[in-house]
Amino acid sequence: MATMEGSSALEMGWTAYKRPGFGRRMARLARQQPAGVFGLIVLSVFVFLGIFGPAITPYDPKELSVCEPLGGPSLGHLFGCNRNGQDVLSRVIAGARISLMISSAAVFIGAGAGAFLGVLSGYAGRWVDYLIQRSGEAYAAFPALVLFFLLRTAFGPGIKTIVIAIAIGALFGGNRILRGATIIERNMVYVEAARSVGCSGPRIFFRHVIINLLPLTVVLMSGALGGAILAESGLAFLGLGVAPGTPSWGIDMSGDNISVARLGYWHVVVFPGIAISLVVLAANLLGDSLRDIWDPRLRR
Amino acid sequence: MRQYALRRLSYLPLIIVVVSLITFFTLRLPWATDPVIALSTQNTTLDQEQAIREDLGLDKPVYQQFVIWVGDMVTGDLGKTFRSKQPVWPEVQRRLPVNIEILVLSVFFTQLIGISLGVLSAVKQNSAPDYGARFFAVFGQSIPGFFLLIMLIVLPSIWWNYSAPVGGHVSIFKDPWDNLRLYLPPTLLLSIGGAAGVLRVTRSTLLEVYRQDYMRTARAKGLASRDVLYHAMRNSMIPLVTILSCEITALFFGSLILEQIFSLNGLGQFLFISAATSDFPVVQFLVLYTAIIVMSMNLLIDLSYALFDPRIKYS
Repeated sequence: MATMEGSSALEMGWTAYKRPGFGRRMARLARQQPAGVFGLIVLSVFVFLGIFGPAITPYDPKELSVCEPLGGPSLGHLFGCNRNGQDVLSRVIAGARISLMISSAAVFIGAGAGAFLGVLSGYAGRWVDYLIQRSGEAYAAFPALVLFFLLRTAFGPGIKTIVIAIAIGALFGGNRILRGATIIERNMVYVEAARSVGCSGPRIFFRHVIINLLPLTVVLMSGALGGAILAESGLAFLGLGVAPGTPSWGIDMSGDNISVARLGYWHVVVFPGIAISLVVLAANLLGDSLRDIWDPRLRR
Repeated sequence: MRQYALRRLSYLPLIIVVVSLITFFTLRLPWATDPVIALSTQNTTLDQEQAIREDLGLDKPVYQQFVIWVGDMVTGDLGKTFRSKQPVWPEVQRRLPVNIEILVLSVFFTQLIGISLGVLSAVKQNSAPDYGARFFAVFGQSIPGFFLLIMLIVLPSIWWNYSAPVGGHVSIFKDPWDNLRLYLPPTLLLSIGGAAGVLRVTRSTLLEVYRQDYMRTARAKGLASRDVLYHAMRNSMIPLVTILSCEITALFFGSLILEQIFSLNGLGQFLFISAATSDFPVVQFLVLYTAIIVMSMNLLIDLSYALFDPRIKYS
């Protein structure tokens, strides 16, 4: 091969690749994944409301008679008032906390444990795999609602029961996908290399395989969040969720509020309903986008 | 095939045993709610409580209760409710038509809407109908079913002063009009969430199948696009049948919500109330009953794979 005297990249007129600035990268992301960016923004707003809700609500969400009972939306009370004279806007803002807290805790525990089982199932193979996969199938035959009632009779009502029930629901969700990904990962050259320098099985599993599957796990978790929020609000609506009186979207749409809404006071139930739909929409859009970015194979 | 079906059937008793063990002992965990407390009032004396406990057979050791319960079940005695002392089975039978109708109508609408929109969306990829269908899919999966059902009650009442019929189940064979007026609109709305899921699966599987070589061959030999679609559909049935089983289990939740909003007295309500009052015989029976039904459906679904894809061999 001929040598070229003094032909460094710069002399040949090449310029080094300059990474675009933060703003430019964000703009590109927004162009490529508009739905995902929208989801991220909306979800961040709800998370913000969930954290700082009590400090920014215009009125105390639990205080009675801050306005005329069943008063419609007005400048002072943008979302109107419910039949106890509570400010609906304040209750919607305050409801974000309980909903996001329960659903994210459930997804974290359930999808986290489920991901671990999935990876273990793919990595260990043999009877471990058999046991986990068969229990997953047996579980799929079991309506989540029936399981929830069983748990509720056993442990009594309360946040813990709800979190456990939704977590179990998320347990086997991404299990098979992770199992498949692990089987591919297990046969990669780096695993063989690690084994050849004397790494123990558990070390390879925890230090290498799991780390490499982490992004996929995050993607699957984000996909499970929307479903968890829907489950939480549904349970609250049925009166199986948090204690009555707590500002909760599901509770605020149930019972007498429906009969009141039928008489023309629609704002009592519509705004909490829109809040749930919006946050679930945001979570789903974000989940879809993350999946497209990180793992296009999963696109459905 | 026959061997596979027989082997799957032989799992059934095993799973039933496991489910009944879990159910029975979870309900009787030391910290679980005591049904005697649910049945007694403030004025109940300790002696009376003890009498109730003995009457319900809860004073015996747990393993002995289990043996008695299993014995009763095997001999066809499905137990009596704690609360009203009525036999469980007639109570279940009375409520069953409500759930069967909700289930049948919802599954029908879910498949109808989901598959037709999914096919439309895949065949006319990247066109206006496709975008419309995908929009429907995204929103359908995000709006809670109970919100739609509440709107079904609230909006017509405000706009047209029409109150949707609530409560009072009438048999479809006796009065089809009243029955469908009660059941059709809510089941249609309830199936939107599931239809959105079916749509997504239909669309992606069809698009996948359309990329296969044999589809190009089918087009090249001059088949009409309708016949090409027929080829493609047959090969995209399997994922659709698979999610059918998820749909059915998810419908138990939707069914309870529908029963609650429309004051229908179905099995969901029965389980709801019985769980709240720790009515063990009812909870135990309903858990077993749903498990058996869902497992049998799943078995049928698995066996139907061979119908759609003759390449599948069961082993």
